[in-house]
Amino acid sequence: MARTPFRRNRSAGFDVVLEAGEAAVLTRLCEELTTLLADDEPGQTGDPVLERLFPRAYLDPTEEEAESDWQRLVHGDLVDGRRRALAIVEGTLSAAQLRRGRYELTLSDDQAQAWLAVLNDARLALGTRLEVTEDMDLSGLDPDDPDTAPFAVYWWLGVLEESLVDVLSKSS
Amino acid sequence: MGASDAPTIVDPDIDETVDVARPWVVVVWNDPVNLMSYVVYVFQKLFGYSKEKATKLMLDVHHKGKAAVSSGNREQAETDVSRLHAHGLWATMERD
Repeated sequence: MARTPFRRNRSAGFDVVLEAGEAAVLTRLCEELTTLLADDEPGQTGDPVLERLFPRAYLDPTEEEAESDWQRLVHGDLVDGRRRALAIVEGTLSAAQLRRGRYELTLSDDQAQAWLAVLNDARLALGTRLEVTEDMDLSGLDPDDPDTAPFAVYWWLGVLEESLVDVLSKSS
Repeated sequence: MGASDAPTIVDPDIDETVDVARPWVVVVWNDPVNLMSYVVYVFQKLFGYSKEKATKLMLDVHHKGKAAVSSGNREQAETDVSRLHAHGLWATMERD
């Protein structure tokens, strides 16, 4: 992987360079998130990933009615926003040019925001499934451990996201 | 006015008064996944906070487990919570 996968270009957009395998993993993650969102019904999930992506607004159990009203009001919009971002990322990935084994993409500001949202959602989903903790050391992963692959993907998503946050922060 | 045999004055509804006067506070909770740089970026983007203020709030979330990031009436707080949820932050709202 390039050390800085995202770079600001001269025409107010962002250049992204991904290895072919990285683009394939991102495409698969988009598909998995899309499937996850298709199953979602507000308030009746029980899936820890969906609970993490769509938390309660009111902690206070006596505000149950306000919570239900709020869920009815915003849940569909929150799901739609995530689906739109996924569609943008999948669209830019499938339009990417393969050159010498690497995919080169150019993103507008809006597309970069969609990428940020999807990278973050993918980390939230994977991190919740893997039950990551704050002080978890991912540097000593055992390549023979079957759990290593998803942890490596989780770590790699963090590198990608950190790079994107960095260029977005500098350009805002 | 002031008649001694006036009917009992109805006490104001204390709860309602408090409800209107006290703003709701939006709280962001620590989680082990979100990147610190991302949380700072989201606070700046959503609330227009300076990098310094956004960083201080992020560090409060990280070290103290939570931080109050905005306040207002119920509707404003609900809006802020949904914007934070759209960005993957774990936010709730409570009475101040």
